[in-house]
Amino acid sequence: MCYNSPLTEALFYILLAVRKPNHGYGIIQEVSDITNGRLVLGPGTLYGAINSLLSKKWITLYSEDKSSRKKKEYLITTDGKDVFYKEVDRLRELIENAKLMEDLV
Amino acid sequence: MKKFKLYYDKDLEQDWLQKMSQDGWAFKNFFLGVYTFVPCQPGEYIYQIDLLDDKNKSIQSFTAFMEDIGVEVVAQWYRWVYLRKKADDGPFEMYTDIESKINQYNRIKNFFLSFLFIESICFIVEFSAAIRTENPTLWLFTALIGLICLAFLRIVWKCSFKIEQLKREK
Repeated sequence: MCYNSPLTEALFYILLAVRKPNHGYGIIQEVSDITNGRLVLGPGTLYGAINSLLSKKWITLYSEDKSSRKKKEYLITTDGKDVFYKEVDRLRELIENAKLMEDLV
Repeated sequence: MKKFKLYYDKDLEQDWLQKMSQDGWAFKNFFLGVYTFVPCQPGEYIYQIDLLDDKNKSIQSFTAFMEDIGVEVVAQWYRWVYLRKKADDGPFEMYTDIESKINQYNRIKNFFLSFLFIESICFIVEFSAAIRTENPTLWLFTALIGLICLAFLRIVWKCSFKIEQLKREK
């Protein structure tokens, strides 16, 4: 696993939404809720992102109940968490450095 | 109601399906250029057209995913899918960030590039045969294939233009 470029906003929030098992609709709902409706993921954007996260093994398929046609649930992996926290560190650095702007005044 | 139309530009096709929905006709099925419509409330549905990934051949997994999040897959044609959602459920746009929009136009561009390649070979074959035999039917075919090539070239160019535009927005 080697990932140095910043996560896109969609990937960041999808990783966050699957910290506990969550399905497609739940991910869209939660991301919209915690961003106060600012970020509503399009179905195609979410589908592409989930497939790419699955192939990178940053998330995994948590459950698939074929008999009851239950929705597929996804869960973040250890690798996914590493990437997420690396991004959080980068964002912290940004916020920390942003204070320089206030020091000037 | 059935309508016959030949579209190769999914943006224009999508606009047309949207207009039909506004007029109270819900798109239901597609087969070889024949679009089937059934009456609906004016503006009841929002339509989107998408091209599936080449690698992701399983239309079932795509359809199941879309249905889980409340999007109906109305029709499918080869790798093309027609999706819709009730307008009452809020805005419906398949791709909401620049990265995924660029990916979509890249898929469409590559799709038409491969057809452009095949058609160009056909064009050369027909063209040389037409010169050799001076058969008017062959000339007609050559012109027809030439037109198809130009149409595909236009779409490839349009996709490249859109991708460049989106990249500048980044």
